[in-house]
Amino acid sequence: MATIIEMKNVSKRYDDGFEALTNLNLKIESGKFYSILGPSGSGKTTVLRIIAGFSDITSGALYFDNQNITDMPANQRKVNTVFQDYALFPHLNVFDNIAFGLKLKKRPKEEIKEKVANALEKVRLPQHSDREISELSGGQKQRIAIARAIVNEPKVLLLDESLSALDKKLRKDMQYQLRRLQKDLGITFVFVTHDQEEALALSDEIFIMNEGKIIQNGTATDIYDEPVNRFVAEFIGESNIVDGVMKVDYSVEFVGKTFECADAGMQQNEPVHVVLRPEDLDITLVDEGKLTVTIVSQMFLGNHFEVNAVDEDGNQWLIHATNSVSVGQKVGVYFDPEDIHVMRIGESQVDFHNRIEEYGE
Amino acid sequence: MKKKSKFELIYLTLVMIVLYFPIFYLIYFSFSSGDSMSYFESFTFDHYQALLNDPRLIRIVLDTILLALLASLFATMIGTLGALYIHQVKKKSVRNSLLSLNNILLVSPDVIIGASFLILFTFAGFSLGFYSVLLSHIAFCVPIVVLMILPKLKEINPTLIDAAYDLGASKYKVLSAIILPLITPGILSGFFMALTYSLDDFAVTFFLTGQGFTTLSVEIFSRARRGISLEINALSTLMFLFSLLLVIGYYFLSRYNQNRKINNQKKKVTK
Repeated sequence: MATIIEMKNVSKRYDDGFEALTNLNLKIESGKFYSILGPSGSGKTTVLRIIAGFSDITSGALYFDNQNITDMPANQRKVNTVFQDYALFPHLNVFDNIAFGLKLKKRPKEEIKEKVANALEKVRLPQHSDREISELSGGQKQRIAIARAIVNEPKVLLLDESLSALDKKLRKDMQYQLRRLQKDLGITFVFVTHDQEEALALSDEIFIMNEGKIIQNGTATDIYDEPVNRFVAEFIGESNIVDGVMKVDYSVEFVGKTFECADAGMQQNEPVHVVLRPEDLDITLVDEGKLTVTIVSQMFLGNHFEVNAVDEDGNQWLIHATNSVSVGQKVGVYFDPEDIHVMRIGESQVDFHNRIEEYGE
Repeated sequence: MKKKSKFELIYLTLVMIVLYFPIFYLIYFSFSSGDSMSYFESFTFDHYQALLNDPRLIRIVLDTILLALLASLFATMIGTLGALYIHQVKKKSVRNSLLSLNNILLVSPDVIIGASFLILFTFAGFSLGFYSVLLSHIAFCVPIVVLMILPKLKEINPTLIDAAYDLGASKYKVLSAIILPLITPGILSGFFMALTYSLDDFAVTFFLTGQGFTTLSVEIFSRARRGISLEINALSTLMFLFSLLLVIGYYFLSRYNQNRKINNQKKKVTK
């Protein structure tokens, strides 16, 4: 698919010397749902503000449809934004808020009416055209803000932490609606969030950011299954991370034992981080397990039990079990070689991909 | 709670009496047929009659109102632009010094402002009269307007401005379609504050009226100096009633607006 937005070596330094983005490269293809995911202060909102044109960049270039738009003012860009606080105009009613962009373009009245009605239909609030903004609930404001943005038919829709102000149930509902809308409209969505579950559920592709850099990008499953470093592994989902040593290809030693694994391409006896996802660990009998652990606590979370256990060397293990266990019980833990994910310390995403290419998965 | 409110009531009543007693005393004697306020003779409308037959006084009243309207109108325009400028200054030190310059004008005594304008106008060879008073009134009303509008500007959520640009608005459109409507309450209250400041200003005006032109406050002062005439009481009563009417009118206007909003909401709910 065609690249619609590209950032080349973009850096952003504020007047007070704070470097929000460092040599950032990013490519966004048209028609997909992207998430930019990171903890607060990682620079994800800055990326969005730069694409929208609210922030200038210190160095580097920004391309839209292969055209350099680094210096183009925000009001000429073909992107629209849904703001975190919705930013609906309080002195205008719902209709006038949505029609704002179309009126600026001096479209004929009939067309504006039709398009506004259409946009309201899309966000499933067709009866709310003459409401005041102050009469709307949070979720309704959210949807009106989306309608106001999509009525202008942008090629890219930017969403800044747009669901973070909603309660959990409403948020789930809005996630489905966003996904449906993106499929309906066929335009690119760039969604900024700090909620990893949200990003995993919604996105075709995710950019993980930390300290002004993109740490990893890829599909949700790619990132979940093959985190490139400890930061990503901890940020995306829950995981058990232990120090280990790569003995030879396809063999790794941790917690004093050597295990068969699916990773290769590292030096002999190289120190590594080993990631085991809690849902990949199965509780079995002590003789059948690869590790022996003692159950410390367990919590019922509705669809599974979250079990905390500790092995003979004192390492903590988080296990998602389908059946209840009893605290204090000694059990075995079983996992397959593919469940072990070995991360080289300080390996960048590029090196990681090159190594994977060479050795296959 | 009850006891406390009783004390509050007594206190409030006392304050009100102290504040309003002189005015009501004045009003009371405006209906007395005598020539002085030492004792009430008999009820009469004579002083009001005399007022209506005094074309000079009526002219002065009209002049004063015209002056106040013009001064507050210009002051509102200049003050709005000034507030917009001060608000968009990025450097904090510059913004604060501008604001301080604005505030100094507000707190400096009227006598000094009046005297300095007198010196300026005589130095520049500007003849004293309606225009000199108008210029000085505009000058001391601008800071008030600025102060009334700035908080409204600060209240505006900056993402609203971002959103307007995002939807394709030009700088001018952002100002006319977003900022101005949002600060309109501030502009209106600035206008009314300026109006009252200009209407009852004495000190500055006193320096700058020159010959031939005078405002109500200056006229009342000069008449009171020549000896109390109960005609002034009648005039003061009328002015008091007029301002009372303004306040009541303002109250009902704001009530009406609120009710309309609530009714709108009710209508929609029942619909």
